[in-house]
Amino acid sequence: MAIGETIPFTSIPWDDVLFVVFAGTMLLAAILVVTMKDIIRCGLAMMVCFGALAGMYVIIGAPLVAAAEVLVYIGAISVLVLFAIMLTQTKDAPASLVFQTQAIPAALAAVLLAVITILAIVATDWGALAERVATTTTALAIELFNKWVLPFEIVGVLLLAAVVGGVFLAKRERAEDSEHDGGPAR
Amino acid sequence: MIRIFVGSFLAVVFIGGLGLIGLAAGGSRSLNAYLILASLLFAIGMFGFLARRNAISMLMSIEIMLNAVNLSIVAFGGFVKGLGAAASVIALMVMAVAAAEATVGLAIIIAIYRNKKTPLVDEYDAMSQ
Repeated sequence: MAIGETIPFTSIPWDDVLFVVFAGTMLLAAILVVTMKDIIRCGLAMMVCFGALAGMYVIIGAPLVAAAEVLVYIGAISVLVLFAIMLTQTKDAPASLVFQTQAIPAALAAVLLAVITILAIVATDWGALAERVATTTTALAIELFNKWVLPFEIVGVLLLAAVVGGVFLAKRERAEDSEHDGGPAR
Repeated sequence: MIRIFVGSFLAVVFIGGLGLIGLAAGGSRSLNAYLILASLLFAIGMFGFLARRNAISMLMSIEIMLNAVNLSIVAFGGFVKGLGAAASVIALMVMAVAAAEATVGLAIIIAIYRNKKTPLVDEYDAMSQ
């Protein structure tokens, strides 16, 4: 059974309702990410924020980007961040103070930035279409593997370099230990 | 209990007010609504990056900012003629670079933590004279 374009008995389209719900969830979760005290909860709120953003991508009409958002951000980066949180939080020095001393100027700067960008957005004529156009995955694949195939390969090399660099940076220094032991590295 | 009630009430008021603003800007069928949303998200991320003490919180704020820019790119792709597929490709590239950045950034934070025993950035003073 297909549901209609609008909510039954009203003229409000479903898209607008979903847009408002996702937008509110996203902004609320983002505010929680930057203000909550417990940093594990910040990481979980970040997952909620990215999930709402994936829903937003679906509304705009880019389903593959939404799927990649779920896989990359909710699946990979959030787990990475949560593991890093667990590795770096100490019990003896809890961060009782969430913000730095520059928090109030930072808040003013953020509000100012938002106001300026919103004014610029409203004042500019973007030449936008009246109706959004969905991107099919077929069109995306044709574009990606014809015109953008070199950037695609370069991104692959970049990811490899990032993996090697991350392992190098985060691994423990074992050279001195194994010299003292006189044996092979444990 | 009271806190949960008040919190959910505030959330409903927040979402409702935002919905009125969004519908005034044209709802889900106008480019401006998405761009305003992206700029708000970017401002929140910028505040977090400037104000938080914890290095990992700062990294999360950077992720929020990257996602705000991604949202505006995808919105442009949806509303500007002949840009749809290219915008999605650019958004996917940004995601890959963000993943690389998160990997290296978290590795650097873990390496610093191993030396300094703290994740708070205002206690990193090795480069101050």
